[in-house]
Amino acid sequence: MGANLDLAAEAGTRMVKSREEAFEALFTSEYARVVGIANRVLADPHEAEDVAQEVFISFHRLHSASAQYAPAWLYRAAAHTALNRLRGRRRREIRELAQTPDEGARTVDPQRMLEVNEDRRLVREALARLAPKPAAVLVLRASGLSYAEVGQALGVGTGQIGTLLRRAEAALRKEVTRGTSL
Amino acid sequence: MVDDPDALGGSDRRHYATCEDCRARYAGLADDARATATMLAVPDLKVDVGAAFTRVQSAPEARPRFGFSLPIFRPVSRPMFAGVVATVAIAALVVTAFANILPVFQPKTVEPVPITVGDLETLSQLSEYGTLTWSKQPKPEIVLSAAEAEKVSGLHVPVVGTLPAGVSTTVTYAAMPQAVAVFTFDADKAAAAAVKSGKALPALPANMNGATLTVTVGPAVLEVFGNLQNGASSASEINLPQLVVAASTAPNVTSTQVTAKQLENYLLSVPGLSPQLAATLRSIEDPTTTLLIPVPIQYATSTKVQVQGVQGVALGDNTGAGSAVIWIKNGTVYGVLGLLKQSQVLSVANQLS
Repeated sequence: MGANLDLAAEAGTRMVKSREEAFEALFTSEYARVVGIANRVLADPHEAEDVAQEVFISFHRLHSASAQYAPAWLYRAAAHTALNRLRGRRRREIRELAQTPDEGARTVDPQRMLEVNEDRRLVREALARLAPKPAAVLVLRASGLSYAEVGQALGVGTGQIGTLLRRAEAALRKEVTRGTSL
Repeated sequence: MVDDPDALGGSDRRHYATCEDCRARYAGLADDARATATMLAVPDLKVDVGAAFTRVQSAPEARPRFGFSLPIFRPVSRPMFAGVVATVAIAALVVTAFANILPVFQPKTVEPVPITVGDLETLSQLSEYGTLTWSKQPKPEIVLSAAEAEKVSGLHVPVVGTLPAGVSTTVTYAAMPQAVAVFTFDADKAAAAAVKSGKALPALPANMNGATLTVTVGPAVLEVFGNLQNGASSASEINLPQLVVAASTAPNVTSTQVTAKQLENYLLSVPGLSPQLAATLRSIEDPTTTLLIPVPIQYATSTKVQVQGVQGVALGDNTGAGSAVIWIKNGTVYGVLGLLKQSQVLSVANQLS
């Protein structure tokens, strides 16, 4: 029985080792792309790396790295996690402005705000206002995923991606325009 | 067509060349696409994949959780679940007391044990009397198919017969290889825990210091029926399953140093234990072959049932909204749990093959 236990333990160790190796291979091949997706949403490389690592850790805790759906899961989780952070950031900014209206009026120079990446800020705000699916379609496609990869990541047929994308592009432009006229 | 200028076939291309509406519409779409590409452009990114992998590996959250992270229990019932887990651990300790007579505990049948919330609180304090370490970490994972679940666990995945009406045919499989935990009694920690609790807990017998209990659990497989990830992107968003079927190799417990009588007497001397629990623990006929199923008497009822030709325990919560049946056959513990009537759960259990 002792020998059986040793064999079982050895087999278990081998299995854990091969699973760790599979995870490392997945991480190496997909990390840059996952960070790229998060950065496309957040326009902040450091926060994008935080999101990517959070996504990989969540994946590793529950899924097998050799699963066929692994890349699609990672892309989708990166887009949604980054978009959630973007929405949280926007809510936080609104709350902070609402709590200190006088101070905000005194210290924020509108001209300077325009100078500091105004376009990028407006685009991210508009992205945060879009519904989750159109926002994710835009971000994944802009990150270089093919129609088939975007479809797999979002659980949508490849044939629908073109239509979703065109609608999302129009919606984003509309939101950006709305943001500038507010 | 915006992304691929060659997407149009012959007749469509001829129509497009002469249709003003289509050309105007395309111009608008192409303009949106160009504008979006510009708006979402970001500077090129350089990442250090090696350094990032080291950070991920050293993150404490990267370690597997204790158990499956599926929403089998609603948040409100989690404290109760934590209590049940603690009680199962303590039940294993009780059984282990007898395991010293026969060095290996191999349960062949199940027995309900009534417990109260007070019992849970009392018994959970005992976990502070030593150190729990995993010599083989539990590594539960969600897999894609029954075949993969069998590969990970080495167990046959039970095949469900007819599903009750309303239960989704979408199945999520989870599997866990064998895990081994070692609990080492520590007199210093026990003394500190007794002081901290402010109660006069009995002192640990001298020869229990350093004694170990080795608990082997799994391998195990889980089949979860229901559309868990319907539109969700994280575990916290997934829906409640309708039916869960689980199979696990029966737990195996070995112990060193502690005599059966010592451990039994010690556990029964802990103040706060309800008379029902103490009486049940004393009355178990053959503890070396009995797996104790703790039943929180305020929340659930239990009855003995015949399932798959052996005796099992059927559990139901008092609201009638959910029920479960647990049994042991050929060294494997089976469980069927669902938001269903007891008769439906029993029918699923009897049809497993």
